[in-house]
Amino acid sequence: MTYEFTTEDLKEIEKIKSRYPEVKPATLPVLWIAQNRFGHVDPDVQKLVAATLDLPEAHVHGVATFYTQYYKEKKGKYVLDVCTCLSCQLCGGYDMLHYLEEKLGIKTGETSNDGMFTLNQVECLGACGYAPMLQITNDKYVNNLTPEKIDKLVDSLKKGEEPSYEKMEMPLRKNN
Amino acid sequence: MPQVIIDGQTYEFEGKHKLLQFIQDLGKEVPFFCYHPSMTAPANCRQCMVKVGQFVKDRETGEYELDDDGEKTIRWFPKLQTSCNIDVADDMIVHTQETDALVRRAQKDNLELILINHPLDCPICDQAGECPLQIQTYKYGPEGSRFEVKKVHKPKRVTLGPRVVLDAERCINCTRCTRFTEQISKTHQLTITSRGDKNYPTTAPGREFDDPYSLNTVDICPVGALTSADFRFRARVWEMNQTPSIDITNGKGCNIDLWTRDNIILRITPRYNGEVNDHWMPDDGREAYKIFNENRISRPLQKLDGEQILSSWNNSIATFIEQIEVRDKKEILFIGSPHASVEENYSLQQFANLIGINEVVFTNHIESGKGDGFLLTDDLAPNATGCRLLGLKEQDQTELKNRVKAATMIVLVSDHFVDRGVLSTTDLDGKYLISFATNHSETTKIADLVIPITTAAEHAASYVNVDGRIQRTIPAKETKYSNRSLNLEMSVSRLDRYGTNFDNWVTEDNKVDCIPLWNFISEVANASGLELSFDDGRSIMNKISDKLKTFENVSHEAMDDQLGIQLSLNPKTETPKVK
Repeated sequence: MTYEFTTEDLKEIEKIKSRYPEVKPATLPVLWIAQNRFGHVDPDVQKLVAATLDLPEAHVHGVATFYTQYYKEKKGKYVLDVCTCLSCQLCGGYDMLHYLEEKLGIKTGETSNDGMFTLNQVECLGACGYAPMLQITNDKYVNNLTPEKIDKLVDSLKKGEEPSYEKMEMPLRKNN
Repeated sequence: MPQVIIDGQTYEFEGKHKLLQFIQDLGKEVPFFCYHPSMTAPANCRQCMVKVGQFVKDRETGEYELDDDGEKTIRWFPKLQTSCNIDVADDMIVHTQETDALVRRAQKDNLELILINHPLDCPICDQAGECPLQIQTYKYGPEGSRFEVKKVHKPKRVTLGPRVVLDAERCINCTRCTRFTEQISKTHQLTITSRGDKNYPTTAPGREFDDPYSLNTVDICPVGALTSADFRFRARVWEMNQTPSIDITNGKGCNIDLWTRDNIILRITPRYNGEVNDHWMPDDGREAYKIFNENRISRPLQKLDGEQILSSWNNSIATFIEQIEVRDKKEILFIGSPHASVEENYSLQQFANLIGINEVVFTNHIESGKGDGFLLTDDLAPNATGCRLLGLKEQDQTELKNRVKAATMIVLVSDHFVDRGVLSTTDLDGKYLISFATNHSETTKIADLVIPITTAAEHAASYVNVDGRIQRTIPAKETKYSNRSLNLEMSVSRLDRYGTNFDNWVTEDNKVDCIPLWNFISEVANASGLELSFDDGRSIMNKISDKLKTFENVSHEAMDDQLGIQLSLNPKTETPKVK
């Protein structure tokens, strides 16, 4: 499959390039542009990025494979990263993961048949205070998960409505 | 002069040095994997850690601060430092593993870390015996491992390119290979993929590692992760013997090592020469082992009733003399060769001069587009400059064709004119062709007399590269008439030293029935009563250096000492005096 950047993308890439004295540092942001455009950075997209930036293909491949947030293969429209690290695990992270598996009818790491959801199990995302939690496609956090909350989330995602950013508050330490 | 104290010894130094290189130059040792003197030092193997400190000085007075015992106070760096990328500084105190238990411990633990996922398949690994990881684990490593869990598995037997095979499990991610393609060969073909314990070097998806210098990554790989597709599983390192030599596949004259076992050249690796090839050589040069082993002419061949048959040395000498005697000297054409050494061309030239032929010609072997400005040259012959310096007359294709047309007998040395398209078989029709050659070819096929001569792997002779540097070879392979134990120049492996002729690894067939060109010429001169005799390459070179000003001070010993000698390339080369 051949991929192509749109004119706006190319304009954005030029802007990114002008920010750095060399082209190499532009690899990361341009990979993001590519992933936002195509939903993933598979080898063909990596080649496109390398050709656009005039960098070695091997270099772009190395960068893309280093970071787990870049998807090296086609994923669902929404990638649900469920945290199962210590705090979430203690607060029922695995229960949430298994609930999602059952609900979506897929196993961890798989993509649902309708191409809507990919389910991943991930390590700590730094939201231990609101465990258990999940992240939607490298972006929004859904905190303090319960089966009901998951039901609501999946329904709204199916309708194409992403939840808005949730403002979370931690009890402040009293200094006096 | 600034001073540095390493393991209690004070050394003076000048200029900028990296600590690891400085320590190595002193002849001492610190273990390392990722550092390479010709490339950048990313310090990612963490093996070369040492303890470094500095004497404390009062900033205002510049005086040393003393402790209670009156000793200079040392301010140690808060943590151990990787010596490969730290600059040597004045008043620096360094403790290596030789004097410091902490450094020893750190190096040992680092090796344990590196070995967590290393397969330890040394018994079947090609690198075993010349493996920095193996050697340093023996010297500095832990005796066991605390990691008894299952090792991480990664791809094995990956064909990265036509010449390189990857075993990702053995890789310790030193990035020497990726840095090589970035900084030396500049093809940027390799990268490290993934991260953590899953990473290994690879090409971009769907791409081949077809770098013309790809096999250098096999040489610098400190483990057995990258292996040569050609040499894989051919021999154990300790069974081979290693002989310094010169690459004869192009005009650069890369310094190389020939690795032989049972008189077969098994592989060719580069040898360091800062003036010529640094640590590298092109992949093409490594293919040359086939020239030395395969398709060799063994025993002279003579055409009888239009068919080549095996002849004897006596017969061929007699035929050679006879053919020269029956002809007018003007009808004989002696053709030297840029593929033959200085000594061979010189002896041919001397013989020609002696029988009254003053001009010996040669044609260069240039294929434009082959060169790359690095170690590949358009000139595909190792000694064109040497021929010119000896005063051989350089002829282009048309000139040579005319010369051949005018002659009835042609003496040709180590050049395959028909194969490389300089002459056609019709050009040589009806001529008496004597071919001194090492390998069978279309050219030797039509020769009336074929004399097998030694290759660069079988004689000690010198070659002048495109830049005018004269370098020499050392025999690595025995012929039927040479002997490793008697020729002290030849290297002897463990098998050679302790095996007898009755041991099954000695194959008599691997020795080729050939002699050096100069020996054949001596025999001919001797049989026809001429006053000309050559002993070996060494004495011929001494004669040349006596006679020709360009070769002044050149001898085999001097070339060995100085890794070759740069000759002054005067535009007007002298013609040699006729003896």
